[in-house]
Amino acid sequence: MTTTDPVCWRSVSEEGLRFFGEMSASVSHEIRNKLAVINEKAGLVQDIALAMKSGRSIDPDRLALQAGKIIEQIRKANQIVGALSRLAHSVDRSGIRIDLADLIGLVVELYGRKAAQAEITIDAAVPADSVSLITSPFLLQGLIGACINLSMPRVDDSRIMTIAAESCSDGAVIRFQHLAGISESDTDLGGNGAGARAILAMLGGRVSADGRHGELVLELTNQEEREGGSQP
Amino acid sequence: MKVLLVDDEEELVTTLAERLSFRGVEAKWATAGDGAVELTEREPFDVVVLDVKMPHLNGIQLKKILERIRPEMKFVFLTGHGSEEDFRIGSAEAEHYLVKPIDIETLVATLNEVAG
Repeated sequence: MTTTDPVCWRSVSEEGLRFFGEMSASVSHEIRNKLAVINEKAGLVQDIALAMKSGRSIDPDRLALQAGKIIEQIRKANQIVGALSRLAHSVDRSGIRIDLADLIGLVVELYGRKAAQAEITIDAAVPADSVSLITSPFLLQGLIGACINLSMPRVDDSRIMTIAAESCSDGAVIRFQHLAGISESDTDLGGNGAGARAILAMLGGRVSADGRHGELVLELTNQEEREGGSQP
Repeated sequence: MKVLLVDDEEELVTTLAERLSFRGVEAKWATAGDGAVELTEREPFDVVVLDVKMPHLNGIQLKKILERIRPEMKFVFLTGHGSEEDFRIGSAEAEHYLVKPIDIETLVATLNEVAG
């Protein structure tokens, strides 16, 4: 399969859409939860104010406390929307040098809710500005997402999946660590992994499993750098 | 009326409990299934308000466990999704199903209706 193969492009597009849909659904759920809390907190402020108006003695600090909590929920919601916005703006960029710490951090943030639901923690262990790669950030985010989805049910008893990255001669290596029972059969990227495999081919990557160290290993090569990071 | 609120978002359940107390409803809360089971074993509730999607034990699984402990308890489901599938599951599994953000007066009216 080559990157000009229409079947490959179709698989890549479908996987990209699937990934974006998954992230949008997760973020919208999280925003809705934050709005629900803000709704209740604002309602409680009204309840307290009404009770005070009708002569009940209530510590005014209760109002200040709830107002502070509303501000905190808005800050968290804003952070989640910011992450989705960064993902959305990465769609039309390709062939640009990216900081893997930054990109992996974003994907980990977007997967926060899904990880919490699975009762695991995802830890991005990549120091800032330590590993860079010339690639298509959106497709790489989708590929990392596919690797997280594959790895999540295999996280060992530590309940912590660590994502590490290191530079290599012509690119970078990303490791999904603390996985139990990972084997070469997992390198097809799951039963519905055709889209992820197409992205892998397009990014010139390779996936392998290191059962002895409990790692899924994603090797990526630098793409051709493009001026301004335009659409390929 | 005694109500048990169960949702993994602690800020939501604690605030709802406080708002319900302003309306004369005694509400206790838990953020996970084990806490809800513990409270239910200790005392009965007229209505349990359950979030559908929670880690470990979801609302539907938890309802079945709580029903075994107190078969007389009534249930209301909450969800942040509001998808057609959630609505189908929620409305099939509980007497009432509310989508977040909830209107507190609607919740109180629902609790009164469900508790009879």
